[in-house]
Amino acid sequence: MTNFRNSLSKKLTAMNMLVSGGALLIAAVAFFASDLITFRANLLTNTSIQAQIIGSNAVSPLIFNDARSAETTLSALRASEHITYAGIYTSKGEFVAGYWRDTRSQPVQLPAPGAEQDQFSYFGKGQFELVRTIVFQDKPVGFVLIQSDLGAITDRLRTYGLILLSIVTASLIAALALSRLFQRAISQPIMNLAAAARLVSRKKDYSIRAKPPADPDEVSLLVAAFNEMLLEIQTRDSALQESELQFRSLADSIPQMAWMGDSTGSLTWYNQRWYDYTGTTPEQMAGWGWQSVHDPAVLTDVLAKWRAALSQGHAFEMVFPLRGADGTFRQFLTRALPLRDSKGQVVRWFGTNTDITEQLRSEEALRQTEKLAATGRLAASIAHEINNPLEAVTNLVYLARRQPANVEKYLQLADHELDRIAQITKNTLGFYRDSVSPSSVNISEVLEEVLALYTRKLQFKKISLACDFGKDIAIFGYPGELRQIFANLIANAIEALSEEGNLCIRATRIASEFGNGQRGVRITFLDNGSGIPPADRKRIFEPFFTTKKDVGTGLGLWLTLGLVEKHHGSLRFRSSVQPGRTWTAFSVFLPERPVAN
Amino acid sequence: MIKMMQPPAVPVFPFFGGPEGPPKSANDSATSQAGYDDGKKVKIIVIDDESLIAETVVEILNEEGFDAVSASSGLSAIELAKTVRPAIVLSDVIMPGLNGIETGIKIRETVPNCKIILFSGQAATVDLLEKARERGYRFDVLAKPIKPEHLISVIRSNLPSQ
Repeated sequence: MTNFRNSLSKKLTAMNMLVSGGALLIAAVAFFASDLITFRANLLTNTSIQAQIIGSNAVSPLIFNDARSAETTLSALRASEHITYAGIYTSKGEFVAGYWRDTRSQPVQLPAPGAEQDQFSYFGKGQFELVRTIVFQDKPVGFVLIQSDLGAITDRLRTYGLILLSIVTASLIAALALSRLFQRAISQPIMNLAAAARLVSRKKDYSIRAKPPADPDEVSLLVAAFNEMLLEIQTRDSALQESELQFRSLADSIPQMAWMGDSTGSLTWYNQRWYDYTGTTPEQMAGWGWQSVHDPAVLTDVLAKWRAALSQGHAFEMVFPLRGADGTFRQFLTRALPLRDSKGQVVRWFGTNTDITEQLRSEEALRQTEKLAATGRLAASIAHEINNPLEAVTNLVYLARRQPANVEKYLQLADHELDRIAQITKNTLGFYRDSVSPSSVNISEVLEEVLALYTRKLQFKKISLACDFGKDIAIFGYPGELRQIFANLIANAIEALSEEGNLCIRATRIASEFGNGQRGVRITFLDNGSGIPPADRKRIFEPFFTTKKDVGTGLGLWLTLGLVEKHHGSLRFRSSVQPGRTWTAFSVFLPERPVAN
Repeated sequence: MIKMMQPPAVPVFPFFGGPEGPPKSANDSATSQAGYDDGKKVKIIVIDDESLIAETVVEILNEEGFDAVSASSGLSAIELAKTVRPAIVLSDVIMPGLNGIETGIKIRETVPNCKIILFSGQAATVDLLEKARERGYRFDVLAKPIKPEHLISVIRSNLPSQ
């Protein structure tokens, strides 16, 4: 219990004492004052009466000049213990007889008569003086002077003082006693309330309630309000805990790994998946400890990107490997977003890691499958290309056996056809093999090789072909992949063209693509087919997106883009669907050397 | 490579001897019976945009006693059929212009009893045949390369009944 210098009890006590003491004091003083005034009046009256009596008794001594009987009359005043002197004087103010209470001394001089009045009195210092005119048959015959000390008053005052003192003391004691009582009634409940509040804060136990005072009053209102507030806090607290639990359940149930960090990028929390996958402990991972599960080869890049995101407050996205508890690395797509406060300052970072290892594998498998399928399609078209010459050779051999005379001619024709077959198989069966390492590739040659495959189709559709290949354009690249790129773009163009359309292929050397001094080759495929509708333009590079209902797998351009990127090149297109002026142009840029930008 | 020739009204084979036509085999009389129909030779039109194939097939069939002529496109074959009135039409399916199926249907309009046999080197044929089947036409298909013996037996089995 803290003891304030001016505690509530002390204040109450002081107040009490002040009030009661003050009231009593004022009452007492008023009473005493009035009493004193009355007393003085009485004294005056009594003394006046005494003077009148003396005066009337002193008439004959005065007339007959009997000093002795005047003195006797005066001596009766001995009965009043407070009269110090009395004297009788002639009407001229001459002393006749006197009375002295104590020692006999000189008679007191009669004060000069003032205005015509019967009586004159005044209260002086320590004494009271009264002069009365003695009147006989309406004629003043003399004066009486009585002097009295104020001992009565002094005595009275003394008594009064004693009474006052005892009253004040009594009231003080009463006040103190009352304060004790008040303390119990007022301070105590308040102190209890304060103690309860402190207990709640310390123990963080919101089920505690303050005890209301025994008597319902304003303090009990305060206590009730306090308890209500505690209830509210308790409700909020359990709601918060509930929410926290929900969050944790959610965070632990999602398949991703998730984490949170503060504004400096130091991570403060990871969900259970993270610990399950990495087999680490919170102590190891806190702050920047996550670096230990990263592949050292890419860690520098990761840190650079993360720091950039932190300093600029923009979203972070990156694919990188993370080590699992078994020691193997899997690929994760990681995204992190900043959380800002009302002022726009970043206060927290939320991030997730999604395991895309399977997805990447599927994508790769898809690519391989598509390659196989493409090879299959190619094989089908090769089969057709070969079937015709084979049919011819079959017939020629049959005829050669039946017509020995014409054997020479038949065998010569058969030879021709066999050459044709050999050329086709040589060109195309080695076509789609993936190249292991890059080599110098002559672009014009590759384009012509691919075009040879589509000769029949071009003839079939009566498509006019215009080629403009620069001389000796070569890049350092992957031959098999380049053939695939060109084959896809040429096939798409042919597909888009109706009969008697135009296909124009141009290959030129480029000194500086995008103005960054990168040297390479640009190959453009221009057709005046139906064009690519604006709605489709964003999607043509998506896997499985196709406008060829039955024929297309929708993977061609997706694969082609991937192969172009393998060369660190670029693939762009423009198209027009204006009726009467439809066209599409695909443009591939391949740098001289496949180096990363 | 042999250049494609214009479809002649009368087939000419510069590689197979003179204007007398292809030499007949010694066993002509023995096998000719099977190719006859009402005393006349069975007329066959062979259609293929690759002339070497069309011509060698014609040669083979004529060796067997049939009266075969070639055409290099569907349109020219249809015209030819009006005059030749073949009993059998042997056609490649995938050709520029009218494909073999359409050609067959058109020829059947002018020569209702004619049998259409298709041959093809491509799998795409299957789709076209499905579409034709939906329209009520059924055609036999042979896959290239075809052994001549097999071709002959197929033609024989498709001859009008004697």
